[in-house]
Amino acid sequence: MKEFDQFEEFSNPIREGRKQRKTSRQNVFTDMNAMVDLAFLLLTFFMLTTTMTKPNVIELVMPVPEDHERPEDVQAVRESRALTIIPFPDDELYIFRGLAVETVQRISYQPDEFRAELRDFISSTEEPMVIIKPHPESNYRNLVDIIDEMNISGVKRYAIDDLRAGDKAILAEAGIELLGLKDEVDE
Amino acid sequence: MARNRGQTKKTPHLDMNPMVDMAFLLVTFFLLATTFKLPEQAKIELPYSFSEVDIPETNLLTITVDRDGLIYLSLSNHESRGPWFNRMASLYNLEISSAEEESFIQLPGFGMPLEELKPYLLLERPEQLMQVRAGIPADTANNELADWLVTARSVQPGLRFAIKADQLTPYRHLDRVIKTMTANRILRFNLVTEKRREDEGI
Repeated sequence: MKEFDQFEEFSNPIREGRKQRKTSRQNVFTDMNAMVDLAFLLLTFFMLTTTMTKPNVIELVMPVPEDHERPEDVQAVRESRALTIIPFPDDELYIFRGLAVETVQRISYQPDEFRAELRDFISSTEEPMVIIKPHPESNYRNLVDIIDEMNISGVKRYAIDDLRAGDKAILAEAGIELLGLKDEVDE
Repeated sequence: MARNRGQTKKTPHLDMNPMVDMAFLLVTFFLLATTFKLPEQAKIELPYSFSEVDIPETNLLTITVDRDGLIYLSLSNHESRGPWFNRMASLYNLEISSAEEESFIQLPGFGMPLEELKPYLLLERPEQLMQVRAGIPADTANNELADWLVTARSVQPGLRFAIKADQLTPYRHLDRVIKTMTANRILRFNLVTEKRREDEGI
């Protein structure tokens, strides 16, 4: 307020006469407490309700579904180049290479184990291809974790497919309980 | 200001202007940064990923699959919702009034069979939120989801699809959705995730 008064005096030197009256006038202060209270209340509210993180997306391209009329379109993957990843319920994870029963192993989602296994596969295989065949009762988080790991490890070719009779047979042969898959009829 | 010579009795005044300026600046910032979440039909806890791709804001059809496998749809473009609903209704030989169409356009998302959708649209908003969740049918016998997807793509050129599912949604429910999409030649779609911070493991 003081500064304001000085400014006025400076800009209006002609009104010198009013100066005398001005000193007697009390400076007016607005009580801003209520406004400040309100401002901070709003500030707190918006700070708490704002979620800064915007969701992001994983882009996924699915292969053209098998057309029974045009069997030549079906892309066969050479078994020597394939790694099959099968997420099971309760965050279990089984992988095997090609169609080899002896390579079936249970691994964890921990990066040191899963990522290392993936890197080993990529470096040892020409044109590596990963096929993810989720168990029907496995959850979505498992699938996203695996796809995310593909992107991190730089696996360019991966696909999501059904768990077929052949895969079930391999798992069964390796002595893994199929958890409700056995009785299902595969088309 | 606070130093008032002669008037010792006067209470000292604090200049609150900068603080108020600051407070309102922050209020304005948060006000603008906030995107108010519309009441969601389903409670979804997104899975985490390291993906850097942001979610598209326009031309997006979000297919939500909740923990129980119920399917909901939501189209980002308001102007396409009317034609979308009309086309879908004519496909199922359903008469819709302009009030129903208007209500559909205002709806952020829906998740029920088409037959139940019509009476639902004429309810008041609080009543709508009270309704029992049904989900859009996507069985082989009655696949309304497929028709919704196909009609949406035909009314909205350049439409992108996103699947938004809960962390604990069993894969068999997603399988139905993905199969429906691929069967209709929707081969490219997005999975909605939350950004994972670096310090968290997989």
